[in-house]
Amino acid sequence: MDLLSNLMEGFGYLVGYQPIIAIVAGVILGILAGAMPGLSPSMGVALLVPFTYNLSPQVALILLVSIYIAANYGGSITAVTINTPGTPSAVVTSFDGYPLTLKGKAGIGLGTSLVSSTVGGIIGTIILIFFSVPLARLAVKLHPAEYFALAIFGLTTVASLGGKNWPKAFLAAMLGLLINTIGIDPISGVKRFTFGTYRLFDGFALIPALIGLFALSEVFTRIEEYKLDKGKEAEFEKTQWPTFLDYWKLKFTIVKSSILGTLIGIFPGAGATIAAFLSYDLAKKSSKDPDSFGKGNPDGVAAAEAANSSSVGGALVPLLALGIPGSATTAVLVGALMIHDLVPGPLLFVERPDIIYSLFAALLIANIVMLVLGLFGARLWIKVTVIPKKVLLPAILAISIVGSFAVNYSFFDVGTCIAFGIAGWLLKKFGIPGAPIVLGMVLGKLAETNFRRAVIMGGYDVFFTRPVSLILLLLAILSFGVPLYQSHKATKKEKAAAAEAAEKK
Amino acid sequence: MELFKFFGKGPGFWLLLISLVVLAIIATVLVRKSSKKDYTGRIIVPFIFIELAVFFGILALGFPVKGDEVGPAVVPLLWIVGILGLSIVLLFRALTKHEEVDPPWGKVSSVVIYIVMIILYLLFMQLIGYFLATALFLITGMYYLNYRNWKVMISMCVGWILFSYFAFYKLLYVPLPQGLIIESIFG
Repeated sequence: MDLLSNLMEGFGYLVGYQPIIAIVAGVILGILAGAMPGLSPSMGVALLVPFTYNLSPQVALILLVSIYIAANYGGSITAVTINTPGTPSAVVTSFDGYPLTLKGKAGIGLGTSLVSSTVGGIIGTIILIFFSVPLARLAVKLHPAEYFALAIFGLTTVASLGGKNWPKAFLAAMLGLLINTIGIDPISGVKRFTFGTYRLFDGFALIPALIGLFALSEVFTRIEEYKLDKGKEAEFEKTQWPTFLDYWKLKFTIVKSSILGTLIGIFPGAGATIAAFLSYDLAKKSSKDPDSFGKGNPDGVAAAEAANSSSVGGALVPLLALGIPGSATTAVLVGALMIHDLVPGPLLFVERPDIIYSLFAALLIANIVMLVLGLFGARLWIKVTVIPKKVLLPAILAISIVGSFAVNYSFFDVGTCIAFGIAGWLLKKFGIPGAPIVLGMVLGKLAETNFRRAVIMGGYDVFFTRPVSLILLLLAILSFGVPLYQSHKATKKEKAAAAEAAEKK
Repeated sequence: MELFKFFGKGPGFWLLLISLVVLAIIATVLVRKSSKKDYTGRIIVPFIFIELAVFFGILALGFPVKGDEVGPAVVPLLWIVGILGLSIVLLFRALTKHEEVDPPWGKVSSVVIYIVMIILYLLFMQLIGYFLATALFLITGMYYLNYRNWKVMISMCVGWILFSYFAFYKLLYVPLPQGLIIESIFG
């Protein structure tokens, strides 16, 4: 009962022009930051921290978390419309969102991403409100071996992403993992594959690599194939938007993905991207029509967006309950809290419940505001798809270049973006997808540091002696093996059918 | 170990790199002249991945070891072994024609010209600044793709420049290059 009355007080705090303006401004800025390739949610939040010095702690936090929530949704807009994910987690949204646009159904993709993000965000917040303390305790008790097993489990999504082409998808993931080892080794300090240049000491930045692999490679493919016709644009004259029934059909996918996304978000270092990959994999495996994934299935968009938005609630669990930032954005939020003399952790619940519960209320309201603004905005975003390709392609290149530059103000990052763009274009030509490279780059650090820590702490057999780690590894084997077995069976069936047809002739 | 360290830097590094590039070129020429010329790309891509694995593997084996159970080379080598194994599988599939034939190449020259344009854009950005270089790049880029509606071209340029000025330069304080020439004229 205490919780509910505190929550009502939290809502009460939001009655006033300052908190409402903070939520609306935060959501608008967040959507823009997310949609702009090169600006991650953490950068969006970090850039606004200096503007919060003169605000009250509540309003400052409300503004920053509103940006955080909306930025996760904003990334999907460019992923769906121009195949340029604004955030790393929106990579997964583009798997089915962009094919929907190519089919002339960008409205379905945008509508699905907005509603799934909103519902995902609300479910994530509800889990945060009711279960933050026990879940946070569980997350920090996990051994590095379990984090490594989680990373391996995440990697196995490649098996279902790749389908029949799984060796190529795995090769791409391995390449991403190897790229991630470039730079100074986080444990021993040894310089690895830096080729004598200090610019590689931190390795390749993820965002420019991601922009290159998706946006630039797509532009190069379009130019090479010279598919600059206007055929698809004509179909937008009668843009389709999802109906209530369409959304209702996605309910199980959204709820499953939201719960999984929140749980993954709780693990420090895991985050929205892994949540989106795992939920997409789960949605595909549990679908009656898994072959339609990657070809414009709204379930794919819903899974990715519900998961990455709900992971915000998850990421706030260890921050608020234990004071441990589990992601780059929550680390920035710790800084913002400290500016206002607030120390995140269990004591905050006791000393300043007004802050905590107004934050919870703001999270719920921000999701609703995002839905309203997103519904208006979607009519605007969809206009991007009617821009002639001959105008859009150079514009995407210009956005990609300034987006890569904005990450570290470095031309080296722009070069990284171009190099990954060329590599992505060539690899795609021969069936090697770009998404597993991103997954490898995201999972690399989590996998390596925890693998080495676990071995240092308990030797190589630690992965099999700890029950949670063993279960996760067994699940990984299943997750890897089942799609391969199914694909093998399907190929066998196809061959048998072809042979039968040939015999009849 | 000393041998691996030799390839890690200086002349050894260049020798290794050049050898692998030459080997890739020879392999491409040989495949194109063979009965599997329709599979050139399918064969050369995993071949290059094998070379990449060898290259990174040799460098990794030269990393200093400080008696750790899991030194800095262990994890990279794990991924390298994975790349090597999967590349061999793909190479075998291509050689035994279990892969599809190479996809047809489209207008590769247009892509190359576009890449050159991007590089020139970056160079011009350093000389005449972000805003002028971007306008030039957008106009040239659209013109090269045979777009001729000047009203749209100019409004697109002006719109993007205004957006990047306010969003990146003013709001986000991104130090967009001013350009050496502009700086020397206007200080």
